[in-house]
Amino acid sequence: MLRLAGVSYRYPGASRDALSAVSLSVGPREFHAVLGPNGSGKTTLVRIALGALQPLVGRADVDGRSASSWPRHDLARLVGVVPQREDNLFPQRVRETVLLGRYPHLTLWGRERAEDHAAVDRALASCDAQHLADRWLWTLSGGEYQRVRVARALAQEPKLLVLDEPGMSLDLRHEMGLFELVRGLVEMNGLGVLMITHDLNLAARFADSLLLLEGGRPVAAGAPAEVLTQATVETVFSWPVAMQTVDGRPQMIPLRQPKESRP
Amino acid sequence: MRWTLLVVVAVLALVASVALGPAAVPLPELLHSDIVWNLRAPRALLAFLVGGSLGVAGAGLQALVRNPLADPFLLGLSGGAGLGAVLAIALHLSGPWALPIAAFVGALAALGLVYRLGLIGGTGRGGALDPRILLLGGVAIGAFAAAITTAIVALADAAELRNAFLWLWGGLSGASWDSVLLVVLYVPIPLAVLLAASRPLDLLALGEESAGYLGADVEAVKRRVYLAASLLTAVAVAVSGVIGFVGLVVPHLVRITWGHRHRALLPAAFLGGGALLAFADTLARTVVAPRELPVGVVTALIGVPVFALLLRRWTIA
Amino acid sequence: MLRRLLFVVLVLASCRPSGRPAVGPPRRIVSLLPSFTEILFAIGAGDRVVGRTKWCDYPPAALAVPSVGEGLPPNVEAVAARHPDLVVLYNAGPNVTAAEQLERIGIRTVLIDLNRLEDLGPATRTLGRLTGFAARAESLAAFLDSLSHQPPPSSTTSTTLAFVVWDNPPIIIGHGSYLDELATAAGARNVFSDIPAPSAQVSLETIAARNPQWIAVLSDSGMPSLPGFAKRREWRAVRAVRDGHFLMLPGSLFGRPGPRSGEAIRQLRALLAR
Repeated sequence: MLRLAGVSYRYPGASRDALSAVSLSVGPREFHAVLGPNGSGKTTLVRIALGALQPLVGRADVDGRSASSWPRHDLARLVGVVPQREDNLFPQRVRETVLLGRYPHLTLWGRERAEDHAAVDRALASCDAQHLADRWLWTLSGGEYQRVRVARALAQEPKLLVLDEPGMSLDLRHEMGLFELVRGLVEMNGLGVLMITHDLNLAARFADSLLLLEGGRPVAAGAPAEVLTQATVETVFSWPVAMQTVDGRPQMIPLRQPKESRP
Repeated sequence: MRWTLLVVVAVLALVASVALGPAAVPLPELLHSDIVWNLRAPRALLAFLVGGSLGVAGAGLQALVRNPLADPFLLGLSGGAGLGAVLAIALHLSGPWALPIAAFVGALAALGLVYRLGLIGGTGRGGALDPRILLLGGVAIGAFAAAITTAIVALADAAELRNAFLWLWGGLSGASWDSVLLVVLYVPIPLAVLLAASRPLDLLALGEESAGYLGADVEAVKRRVYLAASLLTAVAVAVSGVIGFVGLVVPHLVRITWGHRHRALLPAAFLGGGALLAFADTLARTVVAPRELPVGVVTALIGVPVFALLLRRWTIA
Repeated sequence: MLRRLLFVVLVLASCRPSGRPAVGPPRRIVSLLPSFTEILFAIGAGDRVVGRTKWCDYPPAALAVPSVGEGLPPNVEAVAARHPDLVVLYNAGPNVTAAEQLERIGIRTVLIDLNRLEDLGPATRTLGRLTGFAARAESLAAFLDSLSHQPPPSSTTSTTLAFVVWDNPPIIIGHGSYLDELATAAGARNVFSDIPAPSAQVSLETIAARNPQWIAVLSDSGMPSLPGFAKRREWRAVRAVRDGHFLMLPGSLFGRPGPRSGEAIRQLRALLAR
């Protein structure tokens, strides 16, 4: 469904590439996570994957067509995106904001039909958020709001879901809940998922495949156990770690610095 | 229910505009009166059309620049129109339509300049319209045009040009069936463009990036909304000078009852803006009869307290 | 006796005394109002005028006098460059400041009121007294005084008119202005004489409803025979516009109170009798 092959990109006026020779492929029922320290090019990767930016080298295709050549309207029927930030200007209820996700399925002058409202109900159900349907957005907690945003992306009835740092400001319970939700969507609804995250441990637990970036370059890609080795993590993140295994997946535990070399 | 109420209010405003006025026309004679048919009726209709256009343009612009303080005249159009009008008088251009045409051309020139300023990255497909720069550019171009206008007035034969400023303050005195026909032929297209952009404008409230991911062609929507709103404002200035506060306050008032969905908000803003301006014009003609106030003064006197009340509501909520 | 006393008090009240003792009548006068220029020439002091505003166009001899620019507010440097020993100004806000500036550099100034017909007599006498032509000024002043003592027109038989100075928005002349007085003196009735302001914005429908027989417009010499708004559709609701009953009044003659005010009244009467 989504395929990046040998993609490189440099922002105008920048001194180095934001992405360099990155390849990635996401199909149905696959959960891919992209990891890396700050400034490693993760958000640039999402923009290129969605056609908002055009790669200078290589290709980014969605369903066989170049991502940037897709009309926005049609692409939105395939790919649902939950960006990092949302700046909602006007007060809204949950149901109204999820209904916005039906835009790619509506005609110019046509009204919302029963099937649109049904899709909204299904999306809310998938995210376990039906009980929030009539609430005002500003009354929701961070975790609830995040679920609503995922529900809106689901209302588009996409085949691919892209999330950019969705767990950023969530507490433990809500972050775990979010990852469980996404895993469930992959397994039950057959979605393909591409998620940018900085949480290595949760990515390792829930994702099928990891891509580790550093300075725009791919350092390692593949199954979590192959990618997250102690040596790799310590090199990329410049911090000593210890590795453990939980549920068959590698988990890293950052170590404290020895007394003498503490800043 | 609320739509019925709004339509009733609009009709009442129109009827009052036709029935009331400084020239005492007794009710039985209303339908036969020359004054009513040739002066009050076209004036009432023009007020409604101009007020409605400003209301819709204001709502569209507030969504486009994501700023609830946006007013159609923030885009520099009034400065351009004033400069055009003053130049027409200073150059002794004659003809009954010289002033409106000159004002319209001036407004378009300002529109073009601000648009060009707001386009980042060239005019082709790669160009993106930055709403913040539209606002800043509009203020700058408007101030620049106003400065040139003031210089011309100061240097040239003063008396006629001072009267031009009175025209600029807003007035529907020039209303006739000719101007009504002109506006009726002109406004449907920009209004239709704005109405067609209702859903994308809803999406735009989430931010440009999110709107794009939900399927809106963000750049095309921004350009169309900006141009349509500006064209509506330009024709309003050309036929009736600068009438402030309608485009700013009416969208907020209407949002209280109709919410933020533009499919309902835009038509309601049209009816509400039309009713408001027709009502304000009636006041302008009657409160100090036989004299008349510039209608821009009346809308400001109504608009400021209403806006203050709205602000209180926001800060309390 | 009392009238003379009143006259003296009025003249003193409208004059600003200079700080220097008079040394004979002034020989270099700058006049900053077309009306004053006309009066000065009319009382024989014309050859003493060394500076005028660009608007002072009568009598033709005045055109030979160098212009010092706009009258209101005056260009103080241009005025001073004419080395006047007397500057005559119209008594209004910006001119008061200019007069103070001129006095500070040692130039004698006098501010005179001239808004209505009845100001003409006192103004003429003041200028006569200042220039030493009091006798000639007195006869002119007496004539000008008589102009403002016409009987008011009866509202049933006199012709009605309205002065329109701007069309969009419509601005008319009301009571208390010179033009209104001219109309009264010519035996006509200004339909807007109930408005106490010199000028006011009114609705077009008010003009149509009051239905003046004539629309009077101040024009420049180069202007066409009909004003621009005559062709506008909404103005045709006014009968006088439909019938083409316009009085095109040359601004130079009708726009300023002065020695030719009598002529203006006479011409207006003739126009109204057509």
